[in-house]
Amino acid sequence: MYEKSVTITAKHGIHTRPAALLVKEAKTFDCDVLVECNGKQASAKSLFKLQTLGLYHGVTVRVFAEGEQAQAAVEKVSSLLITLS
Amino acid sequence: MSITGIIVSSGIAFGKALHLNHCENHLDYRPIPLSRIPLQQSKFLKALQALKQQLSLSQTKLDPESENYQLIEADLLLLDDDELIEQVKEAIRTLQLSASVAVERIFAHQANELESLDDPYLANRAQDVRCLGQRIVTAINGRLEQGLADLNEATILLAQDLTPAEFALLPKEHISGIVLKTGGLTSHTAILARAAGIPAMLSCQFDAEFIPNDTPLVLDALNGELYVNPEPEQQARLTVTLHHEQARRQALQTYRNVPAQTQDGHHVGLLANVGNLNEITHVKDEGADGIGLFRTEFMLMHTSTLPDEKAQYNLYCEALHALGGKTFTIRTLDIGADKELPCLCQEIEDNPALGQRGVRYTLAHPELFKTQLRAILRAANHGPIRLMFPMVNQVEELDEIFKLIAECQDALEDEEKGYGELSYGIVVETPAAVLNLASMLPRLDFVSIGTNDLTQYAMAADRTNPQLTKDYPSLSPAILHLINMTITQAKAAGATVSLCGELASSPQMAPLLVGMGLDELSVNLSSLLEVKAAICQGELAKFSVLAQTAMQQNRLSDLQQCITNYK
Repeated sequence: MYEKSVTITAKHGIHTRPAALLVKEAKTFDCDVLVECNGKQASAKSLFKLQTLGLYHGVTVRVFAEGEQAQAAVEKVSSLLITLS
Repeated sequence: MSITGIIVSSGIAFGKALHLNHCENHLDYRPIPLSRIPLQQSKFLKALQALKQQLSLSQTKLDPESENYQLIEADLLLLDDDELIEQVKEAIRTLQLSASVAVERIFAHQANELESLDDPYLANRAQDVRCLGQRIVTAINGRLEQGLADLNEATILLAQDLTPAEFALLPKEHISGIVLKTGGLTSHTAILARAAGIPAMLSCQFDAEFIPNDTPLVLDALNGELYVNPEPEQQARLTVTLHHEQARRQALQTYRNVPAQTQDGHHVGLLANVGNLNEITHVKDEGADGIGLFRTEFMLMHTSTLPDEKAQYNLYCEALHALGGKTFTIRTLDIGADKELPCLCQEIEDNPALGQRGVRYTLAHPELFKTQLRAILRAANHGPIRLMFPMVNQVEELDEIFKLIAECQDALEDEEKGYGELSYGIVVETPAAVLNLASMLPRLDFVSIGTNDLTQYAMAADRTNPQLTKDYPSLSPAILHLINMTITQAKAAGATVSLCGELASSPQMAPLLVGMGLDELSVNLSSLLEVKAAICQGELAKFSVLAQTAMQQNRLSDLQQCITNYK
């Protein structure tokens, strides 16, 4: 398993539109990518679940995945979590 | 008959009623037989396909960079979401629900979860999620908004709610107005309606049974009223208002997206005075540089209990979000004088205007004051906030205020709650404040002149007493002196100086006030474009000459003449 923790810097958190971009990127990987925050977990491929995590400004998020593309997927998703706003 | 509501996009609209009924889907809550499970599941999947096609189609007409496009993109992702699809199929299978009921249940659960988040922006998205669920239910029942495609005359749309995606599908050339029963104030549909210039009103509790389709309606989204079957005289009156409004707005539109800058290149900060979140969401669209005065006591006027820290924090955050980095000036609670609040037990005073009001009240009730200060400090973590205090006369009052702020900051640190730095200012509204300004300016980043009270206190004339109209002139040599003294001292100290009284909202006064050297004017939203036009059409050089001449006048009549003769 590959994992990484990042802190959300986007002023208004990851709301609908940035979350949608994130999901689209996550879907390009074969392996599932999981996002854990505020004690809840969701697949980065599911906007439906991701929305309920509460990805606000300042929260720390753990991103992890297993499988062949795990590292690339985790790196991609975590870098988006930092840069999207 | 007329029904009231909250204006989110102002204007007047005439049209026939059309109900968009997707929210009144009939749901059958009885468990389905096991044999029907596959059928219900495939009905659900087919509905998703139909809705996806419809949304993709409407998307092709939009600019991929537009907000609208991206919101539909998000809806499309949800319609394609494996987790969501599995949850609904699972609910149909294990709970033996019909497809519609399963969708309703899963989406209601999702919306509740979003609402419980400690973030006003995300919580507001709950509404969008509910609406998407309702659209799927409509699609399952095979009733994708018929009737909308073949509209051919002015129509006022009535609905429980309207998603941004649905808004995109509307034949806007035939939709003259929109009236919704619900809808959050920052809901995207409100933003889109404003952008499209379609008058819209929310929180309107109409009874669909009494307004059948094709009923003649007039939506007065200047005063927040929907007229059903308007009387001929109402219709005539509103027609006149509509024409005036159209002509006036048309002429002013050119100023919406330009800065308030004189012909000779002098920029004036043009800000808005607001009293509620609804107005705040309008600020950016109206072409203001931000908010120069948020009267926070108005959020208490219609409630029987004080909003707690969290509610206030959410409100300020929502405002920051709506402003997107533009100036946000909050005035702390200005209770007292003519503003009595039902939720507070205030002592009856012989002279309320000279009584316990502004910071006199809040300093005497530190718990109330601290709740507000904490909410503001915490909100400042999410964007820049300027904070100003009403009715400050003396530097000692500032000592007390800053002591409370330091206490709040310490407590927040102990609780490990984030807070941000604020800019501080006072409302200059008493002659004492003008005379004592030098001692206070070192601790202030800005001052805002409140001319309504400054006039009342300088002239010792109760502004609520109708017999004293003559003794309470909106502009007088004495007030000009006080304004000038404030500007001179503030400039010398390097503080920003703005004016937020009614005086600033009068387009005739703008040349004089800008000529006197004010950095900012804070005006009512409805006057903003007119004031901006007055600034943009003139030159600072001429404004300064006018100000010099005006300040030499000793008589009210000469001063008035001086303003009237300008241009």
